[in-house]
Amino acid sequence: MNEMSKNENLDIQIYNFAYLDENTKRMIRRALLKALCIPGYQVPFSSREMPMPYGWGTGGIQVTSACLIPKDILKVIDQGADDTTNAVSIRKFFQKTANVAVTEKTSDASLIQTRHRIPETKLKEKQILVYQVPIPEPLRFLEPRETETRKMHALSEYGLMYVKLYEDIAKHGHIETAYAYPVKTNGNYVTDPSPIPKFDNPKMNNSPAIQLFGAGREQRIYAIPPYTNVKSLDFEDYPFEAMKANFKCSICGSSDSYLDEIIVSDDGKRSYICSDTDYCKEQTKLNSKKED
Amino acid sequence: MKQNFLFQASNISKYYGQNIGCKNVSLDINPGEVLGIVGESGSGKSTLLNCIYGNLEVDEGDIFLNDKSKTILNFTKISEPKLRLIQRSDLAFVHQNPRDGLRMNISAGGNIGERLMAIGHRNYGEIRQIAANWLEKVEIDVSRIDDKPSTFSGGMQQRLQIARNLVTRPRLIFMDEPTGGLDVSVQAKILDLLRNLVRELGIAAVIVTHDLAVVRLLADRIIVMQNGNVIEAGLCDQVLDDPQHKYSQLLVSSVLQV
Repeated sequence: MNEMSKNENLDIQIYNFAYLDENTKRMIRRALLKALCIPGYQVPFSSREMPMPYGWGTGGIQVTSACLIPKDILKVIDQGADDTTNAVSIRKFFQKTANVAVTEKTSDASLIQTRHRIPETKLKEKQILVYQVPIPEPLRFLEPRETETRKMHALSEYGLMYVKLYEDIAKHGHIETAYAYPVKTNGNYVTDPSPIPKFDNPKMNNSPAIQLFGAGREQRIYAIPPYTNVKSLDFEDYPFEAMKANFKCSICGSSDSYLDEIIVSDDGKRSYICSDTDYCKEQTKLNSKKED
Repeated sequence: MKQNFLFQASNISKYYGQNIGCKNVSLDINPGEVLGIVGESGSGKSTLLNCIYGNLEVDEGDIFLNDKSKTILNFTKISEPKLRLIQRSDLAFVHQNPRDGLRMNISAGGNIGERLMAIGHRNYGEIRQIAANWLEKVEIDVSRIDDKPSTFSGGMQQRLQIARNLVTRPRLIFMDEPTGGLDVSVQAKILDLLRNLVRELGIAAVIVTHDLAVVRLLADRIIVMQNGNVIEAGLCDQVLDDPQHKYSQLLVSSVLQV
């Protein structure tokens, strides 16, 4: 055998299964178990350098890598879509390093890594949803000192979080925060749901799937175990509202899924389409069946 | 130990390495009473204030608070969550520089509302109404409720800080040079306001200042500090009119007369 073909054979074996070495995975799993035991609590972990820059989902990838088993079926979405750059490259990464099956169908997947959306199709037991998290600390922009925010979490001093909502109402007449809308997990820790639109917040509540959050640059992992109470913060007289654009998807006609606004012509004509591409496909199929 | 006291500190000492912050200071405060702490810069006034508020850990001594349910709590023994809860319900702290006590990038209403939300208020309309009432009480135009404190004058900022602290009706308020850095007419206005609020609400106060006129106007009793030690204590008029210690005499005689 010559030098070249040797290397080709090694292609898979150069990396351990799912890229990270077993000791690192063990460290991450330990953090994940702790996170699941204390819902919403941010567990520090020793985040590794990944072969892609911070901000590309290195936290989510490490969590996925620690959870993957060979018989997993992986789905990766970015803003709800299976075919955007981030989703495609992460999916390819795990196909190459773990050789796992991949799918675009939410209901077929056993592990879903996501950036900024929760799939429209209801999640089931035995599914894991891994979020990529840019800033895990919901109090970050209100109180910059990490020592202080940790204390605030420990003592449940969340007055400041409400000050933010108060400011929203005072300024805009309603709670303007539209994404990364803070939630209280299991009646205890205030948690950043990562920048998902607040339309998705109710899906986190009492979800049968395991929800794991990984923040690579910030070196934090947190989790919401299945069937956990997740409540969006609000005022008695300004209750939480899940919002979306009040239109229908121009592809599948769905009016109950979260929509992306796209500008389709130079004179600013707008069109709205489902941000969840898999859901949109399913709906289109259903519609054509009905017509038949 | 007396039974009807509100707050008592006994033999407080705080050292910064070899240097003395304050040494062997005892004081007690009765409900509704105003205590002045005077002394020159570096005499340990602020150290003492931070110690008895619970911001600084004391090296020796005990601090007792007779709380709303008549339980006597020892600050040096209770847990941190409990201490922080007391700090934002029974106690309040007004900083010399309003920038230290306010959130400058949050509206006046939000600043007043924060303490309310921290103790569990969750009704926006109610919070806003209370904030508006307090703005009125401290003589800030209610139309400024959504303006940020950074757009306020120094005197208004200080009044806002006072409102923010008094909104939860604390029983004891600590003030560190509340009128330092303000011009004389604004000072007079704030002192007048403080005097009214303290009397009207029956709040006890500890005021640290180097300005004897401030204590003359507000305080019932004063203690005089030098080099971390209390050198004289007594009724305000008694100490100011007939100072016994030579440093107190110096202090009283160095007040400029117009």
